[in-house]
Amino acid sequence: MILALETSCDDTCAAVVTGDGRILSNVISSQGIHDRYGGVVPEIASRHHLELVGAAVQDALAQADAELAEVELVAVTRGPGLIGALLVGLATAKAMAAAHALPLAPVDHLHGHIAAAFLEPSPLEPPFLSLVASGGHTFLARVTDHGPGYEVLGQTLDDAAGEAFDKGARLLGLGYPGGAALERLAREGDPEAFAFPTGARMPGLDFSFAGLKTALLYQVRELGETEAQQRRADLAASYQRAIIEALALRVERALKQTGAQQLAIGGGVAANGPLRERLSALGVAVDIPPRELCTDNAAMIASAARYVPARPFPEYLEVDVYATGERALVA
Amino acid sequence: MKVLGFDTATRATTVAVLDTDGGMAVERRDDPPPGARPRHTTRLLALVAEALEAAGADWTTIDRIAVGVGPGTFTGLRIGVATAHALARARDIELVGVSTLHALARGAAGPDVGGHGTAGRGPAAADDLEAVMAVIDARRGEVFAAGWLTAAVAQPDATPLFAARALAPEALAKSLQADGRAWLAAGDGAVEFRAALEHVGARIPEPDSGLHRVSAIEHCRLALGLRPEPPEGVQPEYLRLPDAEITLRTARP
Ligand SMILES: [Zn+2]
Repeated sequence: MILALETSCDDTCAAVVTGDGRILSNVISSQGIHDRYGGVVPEIASRHHLELVGAAVQDALAQADAELAEVELVAVTRGPGLIGALLVGLATAKAMAAAHALPLAPVDHLHGHIAAAFLEPSPLEPPFLSLVASGGHTFLARVTDHGPGYEVLGQTLDDAAGEAFDKGARLLGLGYPGGAALERLAREGDPEAFAFPTGARMPGLDFSFAGLKTALLYQVRELGETEAQQRRADLAASYQRAIIEALALRVERALKQTGAQQLAIGGGVAANGPLRERLSALGVAVDIPPRELCTDNAAMIASAARYVPARPFPEYLEVDVYATGERALVA
Repeated sequence: MKVLGFDTATRATTVAVLDTDGGMAVERRDDPPPGARPRHTTRLLALVAEALEAAGADWTTIDRIAVGVGPGTFTGLRIGVATAHALARARDIELVGVSTLHALARGAAGPDVGGHGTAGRGPAAADDLEAVMAVIDARRGEVFAAGWLTAAVAQPDATPLFAARALAPEALAKSLQADGRAWLAAGDGAVEFRAALEHVGARIPEPDSGLHRVSAIEHCRLALGLRPEPPEGVQPEYLRLPDAEITLRTARP
């Protein structure tokens, strides 16, 4: 039985998962508080993690009907993410493990997103292509085994896809985080009304969303306040379409390039309905985990932990976190 | 009673085990060299393991955990408190939050006040001083400070003469001057802002004196007289709002 913690951003997560990938509990404590600041504030996220993490662990154990003494492995996200936030999870995980001389598995958050696909009840077997798109990351990877290594084929050069959703939503006056609100508004609009850039002429498999956000800003200015307000749904639908096309285009290229027959998607943006529809029409088997396994969660960290070497006590006491880049994405 | 104490509010990582029956205290600590980053994350639990071993203790024989709740660096505080929460819950051990400033002041007041002996920490610095002020560098030109009567500082429930707060060293100096007592000031903040505090008559030990260092032995001693709380009740004393919150509040009419 694996007890996992995930505190890399603003969700405080704990989960209990069996060694063969059955989820016994998956607790996600969303902080919500950041909406009023217009973005995740690292110091505030870290303070909330400390207040919430103990209860999250207790809930995860209780829902799994398990005791800490029955846990065989403690898993925790080591990075990438917000340093102060990661440190709360790591300190908690190390101390829990050390208190019972349990082994610890430090897990890479992005490996976690990919490993969400390995969970029961319908585990996906490699090889497959994985698209992970959220507010913090956007990348395409070729997954040939359970990891921790995977080959990054493309990644965003600037904003993440979820960030593009949120920034667009803010420009349209939908508040923060506005990705879901933008998707709702887009249902009433015409996705062909405005031609926003999808980066179709940009070769390769990398993404770029910064220009898209600027294009929306200019379009809103050009229309003027009144008309932009009247055509908000069209703007939202066209903007969303551009993000989806940018993602889908590179997925298509990657499928062609790798000959992959299966596609897995993860990250918060994977919850977007039109994106799911668009990718489902690509002619390969598409695996879309349930929403709670797409957004940040600890079950995916437990899943990944099954495939990284567990460090025995007391070897892991000096393990540190990393913000970005310290772990090469290509294994 | 065996108490495990630790503090990560300052640059140092300090861990101690106090055994009141055996009349023994051990400390294991890490003081990063000037300019180096604190090593709370990487050293804390390793030092805990070392201190437990040196004291011949293990999780089944520790009766209480005492954790420094600051004030101090936010990240350091959270590492200490998160570790304490998790250990206390995992082994069902009593938990006590101890003010880092109180522990610092108690240690600085010297060996005569505690009654447990403070061997190796130098001569009593507070012989003729009525009050002791703990001063921790809070960065951004401020300090965290709190002060006690020397005669009372050893008491876990002693009411401070000067309640913990974040303030400019000049403002602290003004308070000391207005108070008029003979003060000892100790801590990395007292070293950093020595000139301003000495200017108003405060006595400050030499920069390399052990009296400026937070020692978890003092947390253990204070914890003996404090009431344990459920882990969620033990939280850092930040004494400062996050910057984003300050910005938000000032932006509001
Ligand atoms: Zn994520």
